[in-house]
Amino acid sequence: MDYLIPLTILLPLLSGSAIFLAGYQGRKLVPFGVAASLATLLLSIGVVYATYNGTPADPNSLATIAPTIEFAPTWLRIQLPVSVSNHPIRWQLQFGADGIGALMVLLTGIVSAAVCVFSLQQIRDRLHQYLGLILISESMLMGVFLSMDLVSFYLFFEAVLLPLILLINGWGNPKEALAASRKFLLFTLAGSVPMVIGFIGIALQSASITNPSTVDLEVLSAMANQQQREAVAGGAEMISVLATNQQWILWLLLLGFGIKLAVLPLHTWLPTTYSVANPNTTALIASVVAKLGVFGIIRIVLPLTPIGLASEAQILFASLGAIAIVYGALVALAQSDLRKVFAYSSISHMGFVTLGLMSLNADGMSGAAIQMFNHGVITCAMFLLLGMMEQRRANLTFTMEDLGMAALYPRISVLLVFFTLAGAGLPGLNGFVGELLAMMGMTRVNAAIAAIAVLGTVLGAWYGLRIVQRLMFGSDGVAKHKPAVDGLGDCASLELLTLASMALICVYIGVRPSGPMKMLEPDIAKLVKVTEPASKIMHPDVDTLAQTAAK
Amino acid sequence: MDTLTTIKSSLAQMTPAIVLILGGSVLLAASMVMKTGAQRDVYGQRNAMGLLSVLLIAIAGVCGWFRVLPTDLGNGLFRFDDSALAAERLALLGGFLLVLISWSTAPKNFLGEYYGCLIIMLGAIPVVGASNDLVSLFLGLELISIPTYIMLGICKNDNPGAEATIKYFLLSAFASSFFLMGLSYLYGVSGSTNLQMIHEALGFEGGKLTMLAVVFVLCGLAFRITAVPFHFYAPDVFEGTSLTMAGAMSYLPKVAGFVAMIRLLGPNMSPSTMSAVIPVLLVCSGLTMVVGNFMASAQNNLRRLLAYSSVAHTGYLLLAITALLRDNAEPNVLFSYLAAYAAMTLGFFACLAEIEAAGGRTQLVGDLSGMFYRRPAASIGLTVCLLSLIGLPLTAGFWAKFMVFMGASAAGMTDPMSIFMAVLMAFNAVIAAGYYWRVMSKLFEKSDANVPLRVFRPSLFLAYTICVVLTLVWFFVPAVM
Repeated sequence: MDYLIPLTILLPLLSGSAIFLAGYQGRKLVPFGVAASLATLLLSIGVVYATYNGTPADPNSLATIAPTIEFAPTWLRIQLPVSVSNHPIRWQLQFGADGIGALMVLLTGIVSAAVCVFSLQQIRDRLHQYLGLILISESMLMGVFLSMDLVSFYLFFEAVLLPLILLINGWGNPKEALAASRKFLLFTLAGSVPMVIGFIGIALQSASITNPSTVDLEVLSAMANQQQREAVAGGAEMISVLATNQQWILWLLLLGFGIKLAVLPLHTWLPTTYSVANPNTTALIASVVAKLGVFGIIRIVLPLTPIGLASEAQILFASLGAIAIVYGALVALAQSDLRKVFAYSSISHMGFVTLGLMSLNADGMSGAAIQMFNHGVITCAMFLLLGMMEQRRANLTFTMEDLGMAALYPRISVLLVFFTLAGAGLPGLNGFVGELLAMMGMTRVNAAIAAIAVLGTVLGAWYGLRIVQRLMFGSDGVAKHKPAVDGLGDCASLELLTLASMALICVYIGVRPSGPMKMLEPDIAKLVKVTEPASKIMHPDVDTLAQTAAK
Repeated sequence: MDTLTTIKSSLAQMTPAIVLILGGSVLLAASMVMKTGAQRDVYGQRNAMGLLSVLLIAIAGVCGWFRVLPTDLGNGLFRFDDSALAAERLALLGGFLLVLISWSTAPKNFLGEYYGCLIIMLGAIPVVGASNDLVSLFLGLELISIPTYIMLGICKNDNPGAEATIKYFLLSAFASSFFLMGLSYLYGVSGSTNLQMIHEALGFEGGKLTMLAVVFVLCGLAFRITAVPFHFYAPDVFEGTSLTMAGAMSYLPKVAGFVAMIRLLGPNMSPSTMSAVIPVLLVCSGLTMVVGNFMASAQNNLRRLLAYSSVAHTGYLLLAITALLRDNAEPNVLFSYLAAYAAMTLGFFACLAEIEAAGGRTQLVGDLSGMFYRRPAASIGLTVCLLSLIGLPLTAGFWAKFMVFMGASAAGMTDPMSIFMAVLMAFNAVIAAGYYWRVMSKLFEKSDANVPLRVFRPSLFLAYTICVVLTLVWFFVPAVM
C-alpha cells in the first residue's frame, strides 16, 4: 500500500518509455501499452480507495491541505547552493493524495485508458510511439495531481509539456502542426516560467517563519492560514500588508495557471491546438491538461494566497469567467469547423469552473472541483467521438450538407446525443451538478456575474443541439461523402464499451452526486476556512441577498 | 609573508595547471618537428595529437584528484578554495569535450599549434580560478586571450576568419587595457596587489575611486563574457571562425571571466560599494539578456543565433553574480550553471560539427531543415541540447535556470528590483524558447534535401553522447559542481 503512489506515477512512465525507446521493436509492445494504461486505471482506482479510507486529517489543524495518504521517503530531498538569510535550502519532496487529487488521478486514469483503447483504431501511423507518449504524459499528469510540495508540482507541471508537444507535432495536421505546437509551447512557457518565481517567492517568504524554508504544501497552507488569522485579528492595516505581500506572487501564479486554464484573453492557444492535434490527443489535452490550471488554483493559489486573490483578482477573474462562458458559446455557434466548435465549447465550460473557483465559498469551489472531473469525462468522450466521425467522413465540417449519420451509425449517434446533453447540463447527468453548484456559489458573491453566466447554459444547449442536428439528423448522405478510411462501420464493441462506461459515470454522478462529493467535502471544508473569510473581508458590500437569506 | 615561499608551497597544488601549461608548450614545440607536406600521415598525426591532449587532461585530472590541499587557505599568490577547484573541474570537463570535438575538426596544417594553444588555454583557467593576486589573475586571463588569437587565426584561413581574428584581437587588447586600468586603481585604493587586501579595502566605505576601479574591471571582464555593450564581436567571430572554435569561444572565456569576477568582487563588500556595483551589474544583466534574446530571435544565421544565445546566457549568469554578491547564493550556483552550459552548448556544437563533417551545411538555420531524416543521432543530440537550453525539466538546463531564479528571488526578499529582474529573466527564457524551438522544428521538418549523411566520426559521436548523457543525468543532481 505504501508504494501505491510511486507505482501510479512510475508504471506508466516506465512502460511508456520502454515502448517509446524500443524503436521498431516497439510495434510488438502495443498490447502491452494498452494493458499498462488499464493497469494504471486500476492503480488510480486504488488511489481513490486508499484516499477514501485513509487517515483523516486532524480537524483542529490549521493546514488547509491535508493528504490522507502520503509517500515521503527521506531520500527525496534536494539541496540547493542557495541561501536565504544564511539558511541553506533543504527541501523534502513528497507525494500524497487528498480527495480532489485522487479524483483527478482517477480522471487521468480513465481518460488515458480510453485514449489508449481508441488509438488502436484511430492512429494508423507509429502507433507504438503514440501509445508510449500517451503513457509518459499520463505519468507526468499523475505526478502533478499527486505531488504535495511546490517543487515536484512544478517539475511535473513543466515536464508534461514535452510529450504533449511531440504528440501534437507527430500526429497532428502536418501542415499546421509545427506552428500550433510552437504556439502551445510558447504560451505555456510564458505562463509557467514566470510562475516558478511565484513558487520560489512562496517558499522564500516561508523562511521568515519556519526556518529553513519549506515547500511542503501542508505546512505552507497552515502558515498562510495562521498569517491570515493574525492579520484579521490585527486589523485593516495588517490585512493590507499581507495582501501586498501576496499580490506579486498571486499575479505570477495566476498568469501561469490562467494560461493553462485558457482564461479569456490568454485563451488563443487553445483553439489552435485543439483543431490541429489529432482528436485523440485533444481528448487528453482538453480533459486533463487543461484542468491543470484549475487544479493549480485549487491546490496553490486558494490556500496559499487567499487574501491577495480576494483583494484583487477575485471579481476580475469571475467576470472573465462569465465573459468566457458567453463568448465561447457564441464563437462556438459561429464556427463551421467542428474541432473549433468543440474547442470553444471547452472554453465556455471552463468558464463555469473559473466562476466556481472565484466564488471562494463552499458551494462554488466544490462545484468547480466536481465540474473539473465531469467536464473531463464529457469532453474526452466528445473528442473521441469526433475522432471516430472524422474517420468516417473525410474533412468533416458543418458546411457539408446531408451529413445524416444517425441512420448509418446508430451507436455513435446515441452516444453523441448523450454526451452533448451531459455537456449542456441536462439535469440528471453530471454536467448539471457542477455548473449548478458553481453558479450557486457565484450568486452569493455577485449575482450580476452569475446572471450573465446563466446565459451560457442556454447557448450551450443551442450549439450542442446544433451539432447533433447537423451531423446526425440530416438526410442520409452516404452517396455523397466517401469515408476517410474504408470499411468502417459503426463503432466497434471495444470502443462502445469504453464510451458506455464513461456514460455510466456521467449518469452515476448526475443521479447521485453525493458519492464523489463525499470525497471532496473534507478538502473543500478545509479550504473554505481560509478563503471565505478572505472574500468577506475584501468584499463586505458585494454580498447579495442570497447570502443573508442563507444565514 | 615571503612571496617566494608561498609560490613554492603553492606549486604542489598547482600541478594540474602546470601539467596543462607545460604539456601545451610541448605540443606547441612538437609542431616544429612534425612532418609537413604530402608525405605526412595526417591521420596518424591527428590521432597522436588528440591522444596526447586527452592524456594531458587525464594526468591533470589525476594530479588534481590526488593532491593534498592545505587546510589553511593562506594568503599567498594562489588560494585553493572551492571556487578554485570548481573552476579547475570546469576547465577539465570543457577541455575534454573540446578535444573530442577537435579530433576530426582541427585544422590539418596546424595540429601542433592548435592543440598546444587549446591545452594552454585550459591550463590558464585554473590559474585564474586559484589566483589571489592581481598579477596572477591578469596573467591567467592573458594566458587565455593570447592562445585564442592564434587559434582564431589558424582555424579558418579565409576573409571572414581573418576579420574575426583581427576584430577579436583588437577588441580584446582594448578590453585588457580597461581591465589593467581598473587593476591599477584597485592597487591604488588598497596599496596591495593581494586580493585579500583588496577585498578588505572594498569592505571600507569606498570613495569614487573604488567605484571607478570596480567599473573599469567589470568592463574588462564584460568583454570576455560577452556582456552587452561589449558583445559586438561575438556574432562576427562566431560566424567567421570554425564550429569547434566557436564552441570554445562560447565556453572557455566565459568560465574564466566569471571566475575572475567571483575572485575580484569578493565577499563582505561594504554597503556603499555594493550599492554602486549591484545596480551596474543588474542593468548590465538585464540589457545583456534582452539584447541577446531579441537579436537571436531575429537571426537566420545559426552561428549568429548561437552567439546571441551565448550573450543571453551571460545575462542570466550576471544575475546569479548579483545574488552571489549579496550572499544569497553560493558560487556553486554559477559553476553548476556553467557545467550545464558546457554540456548543452558544447553538445550542440559537437552535433553541428558532426553534421558538417558528414557533408551537411550548418551555417543557416534553414540548413538544418529535415536533418532528423538525414542524420537522426545528431538531431536527437541537438534536440536534447536545445531542450536543455530552453530549460525544460529532465535536462540540466532546468536546474541551472531554477537556481538563478532562486538566488535572484532570495536577493529580492530585500530588494524588489531583483524580483523584477527574475521576472524579466523568466520572460527572456520564453523568448529564447521561441528561437530554440525554431531551430528544433527545422530538424523535424519535411524537406527536399533528404540524402542521408552517413559519414561516422567516433570522436564527435562520443563527444555529444557524453554531453547528452550529462545533460540528462545532471537533472537528478541539481548542484553538480
